[in-house]
Amino acid sequence: MKEGMTKKTNWTAMVVLILGLSAIAFPLYMTLIIAFKQPSEMTTSVSGILSLPKTWSLDNFREAMRVTDFWNSFKNSLLITILTVVLSIIIHSLMGYALGRNKSHSKFYSFVYLFIVSGMFVPFAILMMPLAKQTAEMGLSNWFGVILLYVVFYMPMNILLYSGYLVNIPMALEEAAKVDGASTWRTYWKIIFPIMRPMHATVAVLTALSVWNDVMTPLVIMAGSEQNTLPLAQLNFQTQFGTNYNLAFASYLLSLIPILIFYLICQKQILNGVVNGAVK
Amino acid sequence: MKNERKRTFLLITIPILALFVCFNTIPLIRGVIYSFTNFKGFGTYDWVGFRNYIDLFSDARVGKSYLFTFKLAIVTTVVVNVLSLALALALNSKIRAKSFFRGAYFLPNILGALVVGYIFNYFFTYILPAFGSMIGSESLGSSILSNPDSAWIGIMVVCAWQAVAMNTIIYISGLQTVPEDVYEAGGLDGATGWKQFRYLTFPLIIPFFSINMVLCVKNFLMVFDQIMALTKGGPAQSTESISYLIYNNGMSGGQFGFQSANAVIFFLVIVTVSVAQMKFTGKKEEQL
Amino acid sequence: MKGNAIGHIGISLCCMAAAAGIQGCAASGDSNKTVIEIVQYKPEAAGYFEMLEEQFNATHDDIQLKISSPNDAMTILRTRFIREDYPDIIGIGGDINYSYFVDAEILADVSDYAGLADIKQAYRDIDEALELVPTEGTYAVPYVANAAGVLYNRDLFEEHGWEIPQNWTEFTALCDEIQSEGILPFYFGFKDTWTCLAPWNAMAVSLAPADVTKQVNRGETTFAEEYREVSEKYLDLLQYAVGDPFAYGYNDACTAFARGEAAMYPIGSYAIPQILSVNPDLNIDSFVMPANDDAAQNTLNSGIDLQFCVMADCKNKEAAYEVLDFLYEEENIQQYIDAQIAIPCKEGDFTLSPMLDGMNQHIAEGRMTDYQDHYYPSEMAVDAQIQTFLLQKDVDAFLQKFDTDWLRYNRDIIRMVQDYERTHGN
Repeated sequence: MKEGMTKKTNWTAMVVLILGLSAIAFPLYMTLIIAFKQPSEMTTSVSGILSLPKTWSLDNFREAMRVTDFWNSFKNSLLITILTVVLSIIIHSLMGYALGRNKSHSKFYSFVYLFIVSGMFVPFAILMMPLAKQTAEMGLSNWFGVILLYVVFYMPMNILLYSGYLVNIPMALEEAAKVDGASTWRTYWKIIFPIMRPMHATVAVLTALSVWNDVMTPLVIMAGSEQNTLPLAQLNFQTQFGTNYNLAFASYLLSLIPILIFYLICQKQILNGVVNGAVK
Repeated sequence: MKNERKRTFLLITIPILALFVCFNTIPLIRGVIYSFTNFKGFGTYDWVGFRNYIDLFSDARVGKSYLFTFKLAIVTTVVVNVLSLALALALNSKIRAKSFFRGAYFLPNILGALVVGYIFNYFFTYILPAFGSMIGSESLGSSILSNPDSAWIGIMVVCAWQAVAMNTIIYISGLQTVPEDVYEAGGLDGATGWKQFRYLTFPLIIPFFSINMVLCVKNFLMVFDQIMALTKGGPAQSTESISYLIYNNGMSGGQFGFQSANAVIFFLVIVTVSVAQMKFTGKKEEQL
Repeated sequence: MKGNAIGHIGISLCCMAAAAGIQGCAASGDSNKTVIEIVQYKPEAAGYFEMLEEQFNATHDDIQLKISSPNDAMTILRTRFIREDYPDIIGIGGDINYSYFVDAEILADVSDYAGLADIKQAYRDIDEALELVPTEGTYAVPYVANAAGVLYNRDLFEEHGWEIPQNWTEFTALCDEIQSEGILPFYFGFKDTWTCLAPWNAMAVSLAPADVTKQVNRGETTFAEEYREVSEKYLDLLQYAVGDPFAYGYNDACTAFARGEAAMYPIGSYAIPQILSVNPDLNIDSFVMPANDDAAQNTLNSGIDLQFCVMADCKNKEAAYEVLDFLYEEENIQQYIDAQIAIPCKEGDFTLSPMLDGMNQHIAEGRMTDYQDHYYPSEMAVDAQIQTFLLQKDVDAFLQKFDTDWLRYNRDIIRMVQDYERTHGN
């Protein structure tokens, strides 16, 4: 009897979930239909708001791409995200390794570890004004400066993750390699780095999601350089859209599509990564 | 051999530490230094001692932004945690198409907050009032973003819409750590429904609860994108978050020095809140 | 071995940094032309400036002109100034930002620029008045002015036989009449806080002394004294406005007015191009805000909408002057004022847009007063304070806060002026 009970579908939960789903789907549905409509189709009546567009023309998207220079911002966003992820994996895992292996027996390393990890509490708000000045003095008011900053901003979190993961990797593995005469550096790349692959995935997902959607850093560092990231382009062209909400929504949708595709393909990795990152 | 290992570690640590100091510690110190000046961001400036700090505590606009930010953070944290706990329980129960639901419910979290804000901005300005007038509701008939008393609710909804996804996923992974036999044992003692949740499930997922609390409070205290997209701090300066005020007045409003002082205080507030939270949840976990 | 590999990462990082640096330099150093970069703050005139840029570059071999018209240019300019990354010329309004830039000594003295002689003295005086403390030099060349009053739908007015009001009583009577015929008198877009300033300025010029801010700085009067009437009359206007003016932004208000949803829109002439972009056939005219009950006291609210300043950092001032010569050619100015419905600051025979007909007399007679908000410090956010006031409708609280905030945000300026006056025996 008990067996039967646990196998039964929980219909109350199903109903709640389906209702809840509409709260997620509705704004997305509205985005989709507004992006396809023409300004003349926009009315204030409820049925008019909900109705499907008369034609599914791609004109709004073409125009939005032209106005916001979509491909250029897309390219910038992609470049910044990929380089940040690659650099983060290399630099943060190395640092996590160096700190994780030494912080228990060395005052210096445990201090550095705490010093960097406590950087998590530093809000961007306090850094942004001095950084705007500093990056400019260093000639870094461009995408490269933005990448460097990301590598620094996500360092506390990622080092926490890597050094936490390292606890589970037995020293014996490294010692065996050492007996074979491999240097520490070589041992790291040959043995430790590959073993940390699950953590690399987590770091990649977390960093990529944050970087891709971030507005503030490029806003402060690159403003006026005529280089946009995708979110920054939405902000900068806000007035250009005027009251042509259809054009604006086409542009919003365009900026959401890349990450949606990424999510559809890597959903499992993303969910795992996010959970690993939060739960450590 | 031992030396080689030591040297390698030092060679890794020093340059990366230097990078961190260069782009985190030094700007932090510079921020503190600017907070003692009347710098506008360009031109010359004078040292003004603690004047900025004294002004901060008498500045109604700054005070208002702290109140708003905390109100938003606390209410949103509560709303998000209640909703996501309920969703997690539902998603963890015996349902069909489980992975589809889980995937769909996480979707809002991957979307950029700025664009989501713009979409909701339109929703609050045009769509919701249309529904409001259809059902004849006076209060919903106009945009909730145009009223200083209700604009924060709009921002809360947008923050929650995205944040629920994240917290739900974390609660689910918490619920999965609860062994099946706990329920079976509880079922024999007559613990079902609310009682089962209150006395069996919840105590076991407390660590996940505290993770969510820390995540939420910290994120919402730093809220920026949603403000930028929805209200730009208005109406009547009722929705200026601390980050937004620092950005807006510090970068473009000519208050570089003054807002640096604000940022220093904000930094101290964040540290205090985080430490307090960790202490508190740490104690709670010990008790259980 | 290991040293090598670490060196490898180090080298590649350096290379990337260097590559980024080179990329930055390459943009400016690829030819021996002088590059003059202009950033101007009116995005609505982007098309005009693109055209000018093209024309200029086609006719000049030695100078390459680059004009950008970004949105929210003031934020971008300020951010760039924080980074000490200055364009050669900036196109800004004659407002407090200009005062700050002069004070910060980041603008070049252009008193040796020959074209200045052709600029109307009235506008050069406005720039002088904007300087926080008087200076020797001249730091801007006024380009065009705007005028703020009330835009109205000429067809609607003719259709119903409504008359242009000359004083406040006539104005409110007109609003009552329009309302009684089931038409909305005003649209507002108060969600964009700056639009709250438009009616405020238009009324304040006729109801408060032109130099009220300077009087307050000298401690001779208070805003509670001078702005009470403006505040009360502003609240009167509100009852004729669209139901929830705080729900809509500037764009929404322009669109609504363009579609004939309201008979009038109290805003500056700068809004006309935006309105026409929605409805090119709309027959718009404007009149001076009749805020005072004595028609003779009503003055037109007009200030410098766009002026060009050469930055102190500009490497090649001669090239910059050559660009200015081009910008101030009469046919170019005429094109600008046609497109943007502006008033030229240069002497000469220009044709004003018919959409300024109702203001023509004031313009011809020179009965114009600069915007009062051009003297408000931006960090005081007077626009948001007015928005708050319009929502709460508490005149006393608003004015009291205005006075206390004013002293706080202006204390450095007040001290500077006092120092100046002491040393200059004033």
